[in-house]
Amino acid sequence: MALLELRNITAGYDKNMILRDFSLQVERGHFVSLLGSSGCGKTTTLRLIAGFAQPESGSVIFDGRDITHVPLHRRNFGFVFQSYALFPHMTVFDNVAFGLKMRRIGKEEIRKRVGEILELVDLRGFEKRYPREMSGGQRQRVALARAMVIRPDMMLFDEPLSNLDAKLRVKMRVEIRRLQQELGFTAIYVTHDQEECFAISDEVAIMNKGVIEQMDSPYHIFNSPRTEFIAHFVGFENFFDLTRQSGKLTAGNGLAFRVARDMPGERFRACIRPEDVILHSAGETCENALPGEVLVTTFLGRNVQYNVRTAIGEFAVKAEQGNVYSIGSRVQLELSANKIILIDPTDS
Amino acid sequence: MTKGILRRGIWLLLILPGVLFVAVFMLIPLFSILFSTFSSEGAFTLDNYGRLIQSVYFQQVFGRSVRLSLLSTALCTLLGFPCAYYISRYSKRKGMMMALAVFPMFTSPVIRSFSWMVILGRKGIVNQLLVDVGLFARPQSLLYNEFSMTVGFVQLFLPQMILSLLGVMDSIPEDLTEAAGNLGATRFVAFLRIVFPLSVSGLVTGAVLVFTGCMTAYTTPQLLGATDTQVLSTMVYQYAMSLRDWVQASAVAMVMILVTMLVSGIFNRLSRKINPMAA
Repeated sequence: MALLELRNITAGYDKNMILRDFSLQVERGHFVSLLGSSGCGKTTTLRLIAGFAQPESGSVIFDGRDITHVPLHRRNFGFVFQSYALFPHMTVFDNVAFGLKMRRIGKEEIRKRVGEILELVDLRGFEKRYPREMSGGQRQRVALARAMVIRPDMMLFDEPLSNLDAKLRVKMRVEIRRLQQELGFTAIYVTHDQEECFAISDEVAIMNKGVIEQMDSPYHIFNSPRTEFIAHFVGFENFFDLTRQSGKLTAGNGLAFRVARDMPGERFRACIRPEDVILHSAGETCENALPGEVLVTTFLGRNVQYNVRTAIGEFAVKAEQGNVYSIGSRVQLELSANKIILIDPTDS
Repeated sequence: MTKGILRRGIWLLLILPGVLFVAVFMLIPLFSILFSTFSSEGAFTLDNYGRLIQSVYFQQVFGRSVRLSLLSTALCTLLGFPCAYYISRYSKRKGMMMALAVFPMFTSPVIRSFSWMVILGRKGIVNQLLVDVGLFARPQSLLYNEFSMTVGFVQLFLPQMILSLLGVMDSIPEDLTEAAGNLGATRFVAFLRIVFPLSVSGLVTGAVLVFTGCMTAYTTPQLLGATDTQVLSTMVYQYAMSLRDWVQASAVAMVMILVTMLVSGIFNRLSRKINPMAA
């Protein structure tokens, strides 16, 4: 049974519903990310779980118990805010100890546990500092310590790294993953950074307009997106239609395509990443050959991007700098069978 | 180099009128009053203050002034905190609520005092209500005593307190109360441990404004008080205008300034204890 379950949640303000009939399951010990652009409902979902907001309808089940109407201070979830939300008038020690004091834990025990958790986030010796006397990365770790020290039933992260610079962001996400694996907590992590969430999560739920389009391991999402939206999201730029005609998958121009991972159905949306398309000179023979004409070339540093017009639409191709094709040259595109992904258009 | 001097010259020129105004019309009179209270026929003396301090009447008036000002400050704090918190956190029509809170400030203290005379008078609505409900058999005297003065003070200065509190409360991020709740604090505890200490700088500003306001208010104690409920400000008037004793009036005025400065200092000290990070 899932540790946390959201059942048919509807939430939002007045006519502006952010979540409609939304459901989500999180297994114990998993690190699950909610990924999506702003306004997709990911933060709303997290706030509902934490108890900062209440759903219009539907229920939040935790460990078999309906906690939909349990007030936030009686839920035992650690929350890490985007802004860190450290109490500016309290020292690091008092910030971290706050949750323990609320739980009426003895002074000695508090000192011991705060010491241990500060050790864990490498902030020993900072007890007497105030938040404003610390760097962004250090504040972030105080926020982590404060959320973890209460031994929460689950950790909730709301874009915790978005206020850090790129280098620190990478360091902190490794840190968060390490802590999660060391302490074994269940985590839900909200972000709009695809790389970040793929690096850190066991499972990624990609959200779009208040629904989860796909929830899967990062590997699966990256290699077999289920909808066109997700395919776009993970870097597929070339889309074309395929229909099954006398057993063969055929494109609009009548060309038949071989596909490594076929699936049942009659009509499909096919997609391929720009870097997976191979560029040949016109007339060369290759697998799934598609003739075309170069429209635009863009120098990208390590790669050159070509926009190629074909009979079934424009294709973006990223090629190494080897031979350069000028605008107007005739070329042959190779769409390798094992790089083409089929999407069932009725799914999205 | 010359450019720097020129620029500094322009700044000085711009500041000069204001500085001159304050110096001529405030600092010089203030110091001349101060000196006058310490001199008697050209020689230094403490007599003017000695006489005051030894006077039982002055002691009473002094005590009443400080007591009523502190009481009014406390009441404004108690009444202002919930209002300010509500407006800053829960109100959907913030602008209108603020306008409502500030609205009394558009009326002069004289008119407000007269209004209280109507409301609290023997035939006023408060007395009528008390009698109708059966709490009292006959109308009570609610006017011309410390009660009516306190009511007047609180109504006079409550907007100042609300505005000062609102200023700091608006700058406390919502995240902080949510974080406190998430860590197990009820709304009340979150208010006590987070919102209150972070509002202290506004509280001090408000308290200083209310306290000095009450100490120096003249029309309110004059209209809502009586001869046996004099405060320092009415005493200054009495010394200066009725007794024509300008020196003694000046000494009382000096005491008023001293008390206000002292109390402001204590308020600031207290606030730093509650929130050591408050600037």
